[in-house]
Amino acid sequence: MSDDKKTLRHLALTASALLLAAGAQAADPPAPVTEQQLEEQVTLMQQQLEAMKAQLQQLKQQNEALAAQQQQIAAQTQVAAAAAPSGGISPNLNLWGYGEIYYTDPLHDQRLAEFDLARAVFGIGYRLDDRTSFNSEFEVEHAVASAVDKGEFEVEQFYIDHQANDWAGIKAGLFLMPFGLLNEHHEPTAFYGVQRNFVETLIIPSTWREGGVGIHGSSPIGLGWDVGVTTGLDLAGWNNSPENPQYRTALDLEDNDVAPMQATHQELALADAQHLSQYLSLNYSSVPGVLVGGAVFTGNLALPVVPAHLPDERLTLWETHARWTPGAADFSAVYARGTISDTAKYNLDNTGVANPLPSKFLGYYFQGAYTLWQQGSYRFAPFTRWEHYDMGAAYAGIAPGFTTVPPGLAADGKPWPQPRDRVWTAGASFFLNPHLVFKADYQDFAVNSDFSRFDLGLGLSY
Amino acid sequence: MLTTSRIVLLPLAAAAVCLPVQATTYLSVEQAQQLLFGDQALTPVPLTLSAENVATIERESGTHYYAGATRAWKADNGMLFIDAVIGKHDLITYALAVTNEGKVRQVEILEYREAYGGEVRGNGFRKQFVGRSHADPVQIGQDIQNISGATLSCQHVTDGIRRLLALYELAFAGK
Repeated sequence: MSDDKKTLRHLALTASALLLAAGAQAADPPAPVTEQQLEEQVTLMQQQLEAMKAQLQQLKQQNEALAAQQQQIAAQTQVAAAAAPSGGISPNLNLWGYGEIYYTDPLHDQRLAEFDLARAVFGIGYRLDDRTSFNSEFEVEHAVASAVDKGEFEVEQFYIDHQANDWAGIKAGLFLMPFGLLNEHHEPTAFYGVQRNFVETLIIPSTWREGGVGIHGSSPIGLGWDVGVTTGLDLAGWNNSPENPQYRTALDLEDNDVAPMQATHQELALADAQHLSQYLSLNYSSVPGVLVGGAVFTGNLALPVVPAHLPDERLTLWETHARWTPGAADFSAVYARGTISDTAKYNLDNTGVANPLPSKFLGYYFQGAYTLWQQGSYRFAPFTRWEHYDMGAAYAGIAPGFTTVPPGLAADGKPWPQPRDRVWTAGASFFLNPHLVFKADYQDFAVNSDFSRFDLGLGLSY
Repeated sequence: MLTTSRIVLLPLAAAAVCLPVQATTYLSVEQAQQLLFGDQALTPVPLTLSAENVATIERESGTHYYAGATRAWKADNGMLFIDAVIGKHDLITYALAVTNEGKVRQVEILEYREAYGGEVRGNGFRKQFVGRSHADPVQIGQDIQNISGATLSCQHVTDGIRRLLALYELAFAGK
């Protein structure tokens, strides 16, 4: 007999004895129970217990199966819901866009006030596989692009990006250059001021893109990096002898590609492939609310065939930037400086022109903004910015007696504009929601004082 | 033929690729479960929310709640949520571990697909959420600082976490 059985028998005997004792007091003495009867009862109870155990085991198994089934259904439902297409056409397709409309009023001459649908941009992206995506942006500037209009239709980005591993990706095609605070984040909802700032338009071109290959990544320690080889600049784009000033207003200054790099970048339109450039960009953002970074770009210019025998000219641009967003405040600063080597021969060959090639150009700005009021998705943020730009900070090869800006008056009876200025901007952004912003600002120009203007803007991005 | 322009940055690229960088940034659901709750058995929790529940979450978090993207699991010492939000154009999948007291224990980014704004994966941004609960603002510009250049990603992940904390408070707190 096993120990269990012994224990049960003892328990049964004890229980029976107690029952007998209790019964003896309450009623007539019952019939005597033999040990054999007790053993039979114990065996019966044991059988019943075994049956109950088996039933319990069966119930437990059924319960587990049901629970597993329920969990599986729940998980499947959730996975299916999470994987549901976010767009109506294909889950791999992304569509986005942004645009901005300006009203700009040069206060010295209100006849020059303009309304402009400055940019209408649409983006198309497609996820080619889990690690590879294609992104593109197409832009219409100034609403109408035709042979007789000033507007342009441009491909602003067109590249593939492959995530090679957890911390590095490779991009190839036409992509935005990782310079300054604005170039890669140029949607009107991302910057203060109706128009983009002058430093990141005239010193760092905007919207600056090159064709090439880059490797990029960001690490958990907060260091982002981007390095690559791209097309460079072509001196053929430089108009050294305009008969009339290339700009008469601040809006012209931004739109007419007059700055050294704005005039010579190629935008992958039959771009020179003989002279390649290289870039490196680093950004450190480990501390939330703080970003510091810098970038350098260098490469030889493509040179015009005529005049022949020009020495190689290397263009180098470097910049450093910082942004600090403590709570409702937003402070930022950018310094950018470019040099072009060996410009003396080019300028000597073109002595007396109205627009010699500079050997140095630079600019910097400081900006502060503050979210004064916020309710729901509404946000109101005034800002101010001080900036200095100089598109001709130094020249080489200017023959004695000649100036870098023509003296006297231009054909329109006004002095030629200076390629440098100090600009105060004060204004505000009112966000209806993060996608839609109304802007107003006033800009005061210290050197070309007739550029001072009042602007209104509507910007959206989605 | 290419010119003999001095290509000095490419070797830097090679050096950069060889830098030892933590490679715990992209995680599968199983890896996130393991990272956040170790070997514990996690029980999936079906989320069946009424329209009234959704309205409460939206009111409490100040964001829209799109039912279906959120998955939840119960552990002995808290809960795990895996959710997805739109970054700029594409989905960011992230995991949120909450203690039994409803406080954020850890945030991990599982998938980030966009070319820009990947800094949201950095420790510096994610650890700001640790210890926060539904009682906190969990708002960019208040108790959470964003990362310049990743503004939309930071904003939307913060909105998502605030929404999940509201969901936790409504459906799981004290239960």
